[in-house]
Amino acid sequence: MNSTLVAGVPATGAEPPAPARTPTDWRGAKMQGSIRRRYAAERRFRLLGLGAVLLSAGFLVFLLWTMVGNGARGFTQTELRLDVDFPASTLMIDPAALAGPGKDAALAGADIEGATTAAATAAFGTDGERLLSDGAWLTVRDAIAADPTILRRKAQIWVPAATNIDLAAKGDAAPEDEAAYARLDKAGVTKTGLNLTFLKNADSTDPTLVGVWGALKGSLLTMFVTIVLAFPVGVLSALYLEEYAPRNRWTDLIEVSINNLAAVPSIIFGLLGLAVFLNFMDMPRSAPIVGGLTLALMTMPVIVIAGRNAIKSVPPSIRDAALGIGASRVQVVFHHVLPLALPGILTGTIIGMARALGETAPLLMIGMRAFIASPPGGLTEPATVLPVQIFLWSDEVSRGFVEKTSAAIIVLLVFLMLMNGIAIYLRNRFERRW
Amino acid sequence: MSGLALLLLILGLGIVAWGTARAKASRFVPVGGQRAHSRPNYHGWYVALWAAVPALIFLVVWSSVAPGLVMGTVLDTPAAAALPAPGMERSAILAEVRGLADGTVAAAFNPVSNTLAPAYKAASTRYAIIGTLAAVLLAFAGGAWAFTRLTPDFRARTRVERVVMGALLIASLIAILTTLGIVASLLFESLRFFAKVNPLEFLFGLTWSPQTAIRADQVGSSGAFGAVPLFWGTIFIGAIIAMIVAIPLGLMSAIYLTQYAKPTTRKWMKPILEILAGVPTVVYGYFAALTIAPALRTFAVSIGITSASSESALAAGLVMGVMIIPFVSSMADDSIAAVPQSMRDGSLAMGATTSETIRKVLVPAALPGVVGGVLLAVSRAIGETMIVVMAAGLAANLTLNPFASVTTVTTQIVQLLTGDQEFDSAKTLAAFALGLVLFLVTLALNIVALRVVKKYREAYE
Repeated sequence: MNSTLVAGVPATGAEPPAPARTPTDWRGAKMQGSIRRRYAAERRFRLLGLGAVLLSAGFLVFLLWTMVGNGARGFTQTELRLDVDFPASTLMIDPAALAGPGKDAALAGADIEGATTAAATAAFGTDGERLLSDGAWLTVRDAIAADPTILRRKAQIWVPAATNIDLAAKGDAAPEDEAAYARLDKAGVTKTGLNLTFLKNADSTDPTLVGVWGALKGSLLTMFVTIVLAFPVGVLSALYLEEYAPRNRWTDLIEVSINNLAAVPSIIFGLLGLAVFLNFMDMPRSAPIVGGLTLALMTMPVIVIAGRNAIKSVPPSIRDAALGIGASRVQVVFHHVLPLALPGILTGTIIGMARALGETAPLLMIGMRAFIASPPGGLTEPATVLPVQIFLWSDEVSRGFVEKTSAAIIVLLVFLMLMNGIAIYLRNRFERRW
Repeated sequence: MSGLALLLLILGLGIVAWGTARAKASRFVPVGGQRAHSRPNYHGWYVALWAAVPALIFLVVWSSVAPGLVMGTVLDTPAAAALPAPGMERSAILAEVRGLADGTVAAAFNPVSNTLAPAYKAASTRYAIIGTLAAVLLAFAGGAWAFTRLTPDFRARTRVERVVMGALLIASLIAILTTLGIVASLLFESLRFFAKVNPLEFLFGLTWSPQTAIRADQVGSSGAFGAVPLFWGTIFIGAIIAMIVAIPLGLMSAIYLTQYAKPTTRKWMKPILEILAGVPTVVYGYFAALTIAPALRTFAVSIGITSASSESALAAGLVMGVMIIPFVSSMADDSIAAVPQSMRDGSLAMGATTSETIRKVLVPAALPGVVGGVLLAVSRAIGETMIVVMAAGLAANLTLNPFASVTTVTTQIVQLLTGDQEFDSAKTLAAFALGLVLFLVTLALNIVALRVVKKYREAYE
């Protein structure tokens, strides 16, 4: 039927005859080859995409694996059993003096360090002192303070080993240290346990004595200042821009500023903090309050942008209903819009805070890279924060710091994951689709 | 009384004022059938604001004025005559006096300090008492005055809401203030730098060696501030190497996850890729310095590049590229999703395979959005600090060799501002000039990128 119809179309004589058209031979070798090529290209392209995803994810896995592999060892510590013969030692402390209020003075006055060295020499040979951590005598002191009666007898005290021995125990040191460790291990005076020092100390020059608590406390104080300042200001400006701001040049200026601030490199905020807070306002260097102020300026735009999106997603019918039953405009926003937008705002805030917690560069600018050997006591005392501590340890030459740096990174990543986990939970639990 | 206790006292007074005023307002009897204009809560807030806000403002002003007053009193005492003339020594002694009085310094180094410390202590106690009394009085006066104004037809709500609106406006002005602060501080310090160093030399000079001489006769420390090697290093790492990594990986990941992957794969892989953007940069820096850089150096030596440095542009650029992948990927994701479905359907209906549709229809249509995303990624990469500080090195080389060590603008800012130096030297001020350049470039990139993205979105709406 069709062929007759096509054949029946009258040809207009004036035009040149159309070139003869042969139907495409789909089953011919040429077309089949072309289709095969196109399908092969399709598969290649698809594999390329899969490869890109897997490569990116693989990099993440490799990064985390390296950090965990290096850092897990930072949480353990090798200890040596030190036999101290207190009655025979040069230590002149009256056990009775340790019971009263003069305890600290009595301990400080005694040469515990010397006694520890002597005990190490007696136990491990002439350079026995080098097998112990520089802080071994602190452990001895704590043992005496905990139980003064040991001063009247021979005592066995587990003290931290020196970095070389610690690394040798973990199978990562020079041959002579490995040999020294093997000798000690054979004598049965070594054990490996959880490194509590790492969780409760601050910075130190000896890798066996360092801890993250000082930096962690600095981070927490800094984050406290940041959230106290950035959250109210961020939420209030988001409310103003979304609910009240008249459309004029000033509002445009505010919006442009906020969008730009969100994209300004973080180090610029550090320069601002240095020029304004330290040099102009003369605030204390290295203090959590200055760090918190600087990070608050950086986090505020993030909160404003997240807050505006959350407020925008509250449907206008809520506002209309509230206005309709006689609420004022302030009541509409604070009684109805804000509570409904709050989960979204909180999610954005936590994400902004997580970014601030991992931030290093601006805090270097305001001097939070000092060597701080004790945890900060307040907002104006010198402090450092976890990322800066990681940066400082990564610069240390001593090999013992490698595992400590990675361990500190694990602590930081755990905190970040917790924060992001809370944000995801909040989003899934409370976010409403209208 | 310490500042915190005083603050809590004022806030406590505010709460008391709130409760009293609220109680008074809730006893208002309707007059002639007409109820009170505002609910008791608003009366409470009105009085509480009057009690707390003026006192707090006074405290802020007082805390900036009081140290000067205390110091003035101390300098008026006869013992102060022994102080040396204004200068370093005098301020050192006065700082010590302050420390002695606070108890933060245990023993004085300077004998004059010991004589002045009691006077300082007395003066600071006196002014602290004056400040406390004045703040408390102000709180009571404000609260009492506001309390007397409460009547059933007093418009408390209107007034409280006016304060709330004021607070909202002030909060949103902080963004402008921050921007102004950044521009002013960068500009001010940069101008001081350009008074010492010719701006043309800074922008076009080829040698960077910021050590200025302490003595005029020192050798090799004349100080050269030609920033071109820094700009090149920044572009080389952030805009070239990092983008060579990030653009293909980010774009292909976005294409695979939006066009090919099953919904469950997409649901899991997208957040995993986004973790890459959430890892702190100091972790990337440490990873680059500890693992990637030594491996690259071994590799370079094994292929015959003996000059390979252990801090290389390639190590920093590769790791930075990985960090940028999620940015490129999510921007590409958005732009591809914005291409109308009809274009995709049309191409598929003509018999094109999925990959042909993507390569010849979707990506060209989404290109402006992708380019905008890449510009944003570049702006983020050149402002990134920790990776380059830890992995790229400090040598200001003008080189095309990716295994050589180069330095960047951000590295040098950190380098110039950490360590001991006086604040007025050209070396320190140079950091602000570099910061200004960085700020302007990232600003321009962001504005252009946002404009491109916006134009493109409009085209399909």
